[in-house]
Amino acid sequence: MSFELIILLLMLASFALSVFVLKMPAGVSLIIAALVGALVDGHGIPVSHLVEGGFGFMEAILIIATAMIFMKIMEASGVLTQISLGIIKAFHKKPTILIIVIILFIMFPGMLTGLSSTCVLTTGVLVAPILLAIGVPRLAAGSLIAMAAVFGEVAPPISIPVMIIGGGVDMPYIGFTVPLLLVSLPAALFTAIYFRIKFVKKIDIEEVLKKLSSLDKKKRGFVVYIPLIFVIFYMIGEIVFHDYVLHLGVPLIFTIGAILGIIFSPKTPLIKVSREALRMALPVIVILVGVGMFLQILTLTGVRGYLAVSALQLPDAVKYMAASLMPFMGSAYASASVIGVPLVYVFIGKSAIVVTASLVMMASLGDLMPPPSLLCAYAAQTVQEENHFKILKQSLIPIAFSMITALIVLIFAEEISSFIF
Amino acid sequence: MIKKHHISAFIIVVFTVLIAIIASAEFRKQKIPEALYPSKGLSSKGMLSDYFAGIKDTNGDTEVYFFDSGKPGATVFLAGGTHPNEPAGYMASVVILENLIPEKGRVIIIPRLNNSGFTCTDPMEAYPHGFTIETGTTSRRFRFGSRGANPLDQWPDPLVYVHKPSGQQYSGLESRNLNRSYPGDPDGTFTEKVAFAIIQLLKEENVDIAYDLHEAAPEIPIINAIVYHEKAEDITMYSILELEMEGLQYAPELSPKNFHGLSHREWGDYTQAYAFLMETSSPVQGRLRGKTNEELVLKGLSKNYKTAKETEALRIVYRDEGEPLEHRVGRHMSGFLAIIDSYNELNPEKQVKVSGLPDHSDLVENGIGKYLNNK
Repeated sequence: MSFELIILLLMLASFALSVFVLKMPAGVSLIIAALVGALVDGHGIPVSHLVEGGFGFMEAILIIATAMIFMKIMEASGVLTQISLGIIKAFHKKPTILIIVIILFIMFPGMLTGLSSTCVLTTGVLVAPILLAIGVPRLAAGSLIAMAAVFGEVAPPISIPVMIIGGGVDMPYIGFTVPLLLVSLPAALFTAIYFRIKFVKKIDIEEVLKKLSSLDKKKRGFVVYIPLIFVIFYMIGEIVFHDYVLHLGVPLIFTIGAILGIIFSPKTPLIKVSREALRMALPVIVILVGVGMFLQILTLTGVRGYLAVSALQLPDAVKYMAASLMPFMGSAYASASVIGVPLVYVFIGKSAIVVTASLVMMASLGDLMPPPSLLCAYAAQTVQEENHFKILKQSLIPIAFSMITALIVLIFAEEISSFIF
Repeated sequence: MIKKHHISAFIIVVFTVLIAIIASAEFRKQKIPEALYPSKGLSSKGMLSDYFAGIKDTNGDTEVYFFDSGKPGATVFLAGGTHPNEPAGYMASVVILENLIPEKGRVIIIPRLNNSGFTCTDPMEAYPHGFTIETGTTSRRFRFGSRGANPLDQWPDPLVYVHKPSGQQYSGLESRNLNRSYPGDPDGTFTEKVAFAIIQLLKEENVDIAYDLHEAAPEIPIINAIVYHEKAEDITMYSILELEMEGLQYAPELSPKNFHGLSHREWGDYTQAYAFLMETSSPVQGRLRGKTNEELVLKGLSKNYKTAKETEALRIVYRDEGEPLEHRVGRHMSGFLAIIDSYNELNPEKQVKVSGLPDHSDLVENGIGKYLNNK
C-alpha cells in the first residue's frame, strides 16, 4: 500500500470519526482531516498552508454571505411574497405550468448563490403554504422544495460545486451554462410533472387564496422590486455590456442590492436580518474553508496526484460505479472536492466541462443524504414534519431520475460536448 | 456576568489572532525581493515605469537591465517571470543577467516581468514559497510565486474576463494573467497597465527580438516548444534545426491568430519585434504531481508522471530521469542562443552578438549554481 493511500485513508477516517462519532460540523471535520494529513506526512501543523488553503474559496464565501443577506432582505421586504402570490394567481388554471414555475421560483436563489439551502430557506419557505393550499401533501411538498433546491444549486449562472471541482483541476468557470442546464432542467421538469400527476388535482383559486390568508397580501409598489431587478440586470450587464458597465464583482453587486433593499423598504430590520442570514450561511462558509484546507493538504502530501494517477488506471465499469457514489458523501461541496476532483481525471479524454456538470448533479444530491440530510431537515421544517427522513424517502423517484440523467450525460459526455460546443 | 459562550468566543479570537500573526509573518517574506547580481556587461538599469508612469510605486513596477555593447546592432528583449510559478523561465533570465557580455547590439532583460506574482502563491496548490540553489561557496534563495498578479493588487476577478481590444472571453481568473493581457490598456486594470508598459518598452526601445520564457505541466499539449509569431517563422525553423544538431528537440508552434492577449501574438502584432515564447516541461506545475515541495521544483522527478506516461491515457512529456531545473533552464539558454544565431544569419546587416553564456550541456554538467554570482 502506498504512503499516499495511507494518508488518504487516515484523512477520510478522521473526517468520518469527526462527523459520525464526535458529531462535529462537516467544515470543522474537513479541517481536522487536513491537520491529520499534514501531521502524518511530517509537516507538523503547517500554518501558512492551512491559511492559504482556507482562502481558496474567499470569493465564493463572500458571494454566499452577501447573497444570503440580500435574499433575506428581499424576503423581509415582501418582494418574494408578492412574487409567490403572483405566480399562483397567474398559473392556477394550468397546474402543470404552476408546478414548473414554482420549482423554477424555488431554484432561483440557488442559481444566484450556488447554495441549495438558500432555496429552501427563502423561496421554499414562501411556496410551502401555496403547495399545501393547492392540496399537495406535506411530505410531497417538502420533497418538492428539497429537490428544487438541489436543482437550483446545480443550475447556472453560479454553481459553487463546479467552482470547487474547477479549482482542483485548474479548469476555468466558463462554458458551463448549457451542460449545467442539461443536467438540471430535465430533472427539474420531471420532478414537476411527477408531483403534478401524483399530487395536484384541480385548483380552486378562491379556496386556495382563503387558505393563504396568513401570507402578507398588502400591495407594494414597484420600488420594492428595484433591488432584485438591479442585481439580476447588473450581473448580466457586467458580462454582456462589459465595455460600458463598471466591474463591481458579485459580492459588491449583492451588497448594493441589499442596500437598495433597505432604502426601498426602510422598515426592514437590517441587523436582525443580517444576523439571521449569516447564521444560515456560516455552516457552508466553514465547509468552504475546510474544503480549501483539505485540498491544500491533499496537494502538499501528494495525495491529489496519487488519486489522479490511480484514476487513470481504473477500468471503465469501476469508473462509473465510483461516480455513482458521489451523493453518499452527505454534502455537495464535500463530495465535489473529495471525489469530484479525482473523478474528472478518471474521465480524462471526455469533455471535462460536460463530465464536471454531470458529476456536480450527482454531488448536489448529497445535500439530501444522511448523515446531515441538510436539505431534508430544512424542508421538513417548512412543512412542519418532524421526521426529515420521510422527506428523503418521498424524494427517491426524483433522485433516481436525476442520477440516471447525470449518468447518461457522463457516459455520453464527449458526444454531448461535440453537439453543444 | 461572563457567560460560557463569551469565554469560547474569546478563546477563538485569541487563537485566530495567533494564527494570523504566524501566517502573516510567513507571507510577508514573499514581498522581499531576492538580490540579483548582474554581470560586468551591465550598462544601465531602469524601471518599467519609465515607459508608463501609471505603474510607478506599484507592485507592477520592476527592474529593467540594459546590456549595451556600444556597437550598433539589433536589440534583444528577454522576459523572465511572466508566470512566477514557472521557475525555469525566471532562472534562465537570472543566469543570462548574471553572465551576459554584449559584443554587438544590446540586450534588455526584465527577470521579474510579473513582479506582483512573486509576492504570493496560489491557494490550494501547496507550492513552496521559494527554492535554494547552492553556488559552491554559498547558496542563493529564489522566490516561487503565483501565475497571476497578487489579488491584493487586483481584485475582485470578474466572472468572465473580456480581453481588450479583441473581445475574446476567458475565465475571470485570467484577468490577473499578464500573458492574457497584451497589448494592455493605460486606463485598464493593474495587469493591463503592466502589459501596456511592456508594449511601450518594446516600441520605444525598437526591440528586434523578444523572448518570453515559460514552463508548462507535462500533460499540456504545447511543451518543449518554441511558440512564434508568423513574422518569425524562418528564424524559428533555422533555430530548431540548430538545436536538433545539439541533440535538443523543440516543437515549432505557430501562434494562433485568434488566441489573443498572449505575448507571442500581441508583441508580434503591436510592435516591430519578432516574438518568441518558449516552454519546458515542469512536473511541479502538473495536476498529476506527487508531493509538492522544493525538491520537486529542483529535481523535477515524479513517479506519478512516469506511471501516467506508461498508461498512455494521456500524452505526457516527461523523461524517466526527471526534468531537473538545470535541464529546463538549459533548454531555455540553448533556445535563446539558437534564435540569436538564426536571426544573425538571416539579418547580417543588423546583428546582435553575446558571449559568456552557458548552454544546455554546460548547465546539465555543472548545475545552475556555477553560473550564479555571489555578490
